[in-house]
Amino acid sequence: MRSLAYVDVLSPKTLEEALEILDENKGDIRVLAGGTDLILQLRKSTSFNGKLVNIFSLDQLRYIRLEGTNVKIGALTDFHTIAESPIIQKHAPFLADAARWIGSVQILNKASIGGNIVNASPAADSLPALYVLEATLTLQSKAAKRHLPISEFYKGYKKLDLRPNELLVEISFNSVKENQIGMFFKHGLRQGDAISVVNGAVLLEVTPGSHVVRDARIALGAVAPTVVRAKEAEAHLKGKKLDEKTMSEVSELVVTSISPIDDVRGSAVYRAEMCKNYVYMTLWKIAEVLRS
Amino acid sequence: MRLRLSKQFSFVLNGEAVTVTCPPAYTLLEVLRHVLHLTGTKDGCSSGDCGACTVLLDGRPVHSCLTLISQVEGRNVVTVEGIGENVPKCYAEEGAVQCGYCIPGFVVTTAAFLEENPSPTEDEIRDALRGNLCRCTGYVKIVNAVKKAAGGIG
Repeated sequence: MRSLAYVDVLSPKTLEEALEILDENKGDIRVLAGGTDLILQLRKSTSFNGKLVNIFSLDQLRYIRLEGTNVKIGALTDFHTIAESPIIQKHAPFLADAARWIGSVQILNKASIGGNIVNASPAADSLPALYVLEATLTLQSKAAKRHLPISEFYKGYKKLDLRPNELLVEISFNSVKENQIGMFFKHGLRQGDAISVVNGAVLLEVTPGSHVVRDARIALGAVAPTVVRAKEAEAHLKGKKLDEKTMSEVSELVVTSISPIDDVRGSAVYRAEMCKNYVYMTLWKIAEVLRS
Repeated sequence: MRLRLSKQFSFVLNGEAVTVTCPPAYTLLEVLRHVLHLTGTKDGCSSGDCGACTVLLDGRPVHSCLTLISQVEGRNVVTVEGIGENVPKCYAEEGAVQCGYCIPGFVVTTAAFLEENPSPTEDEIRDALRGNLCRCTGYVKIVNAVKKAAGGIG
């Protein structure tokens, strides 16, 4: 791995200054947040000749707020803070759970949710939870601010709807309702600190009492160039109870939404099989919670 | 040949204010070992997998190999050299050390963990150390050392 001794790093003191720098250096500059993935990428890269804009010290982008039923997370908030946040634990518990399993203690302390989103790994562990929450991203440039549903942010493998002068500043979503229940799942090759072979999140809205599924959201990671929603599986769940037959049918249906690849962490066939199994197990766990 | 960049950075290291002049994209690990010659912090994998380079940044364990000196400006860093005697002593007494290369990372992670959780369960200990790898001894004696440091045994 090469040293980054020849790479310049600009360290703005305010968000305004950071946006100014991005505006002046369009495309020739990478944003350094927590850096737990970027630093490694750059040290392995032989082609990077740009600069870095270091936003790590912009504490104004570190917050978790509840405004009415809307949860707002500043883009620099680290995953330790998210996992431990009473607001997240109450209003999006499966996001807290996902945050907890993103990596080692050391990674959680430094890696930011904004970095996880912009880094755009299809295996990023915060993304399935944010997809089922239908989170909104706030992108800010020197001149303007815009809001985008997270699913529209990804245009393909590591292709983003992010202009060179824009910075992701906030992630927001509606808190989970009383009759909604969600869960995150992850299959990695090492429990403490592993890139996911498959991951995902399920969020169901059920009719109180009868537990008939009113609305279902299933997001799957590491099985396509971007995180995907399993639309056919979701549709099949609506209006049904979580019985054995429904859970089996739904988990089989997820394969219509995915296009896994072979790589060092697992084969495409293995991924598809694990994806089906984990969706089944997650539905089973949700059914257990509903019964109790 | 490109000119090597140099900038000045000030931070608190093991309780003392320090200023270094070095490339702004040097990792904190490079600065500790090659500029300040504090070689207690080890370079195991250079990729954030092994935890040997763990230091405390504002009191919390992070990988110094995945931290740039630019991110450290104005902050507080503690390395294994700045950790009190109790934790290293317990590691030695429990025979938790074989080759020793991973131990500074374990010691730093343990010290921060016990600060937060002075009487942990074994599960909590194993969870807190999940980002630190030892390839010599296994983890039983390491876990015993943490228990001892917490006042659990001995």
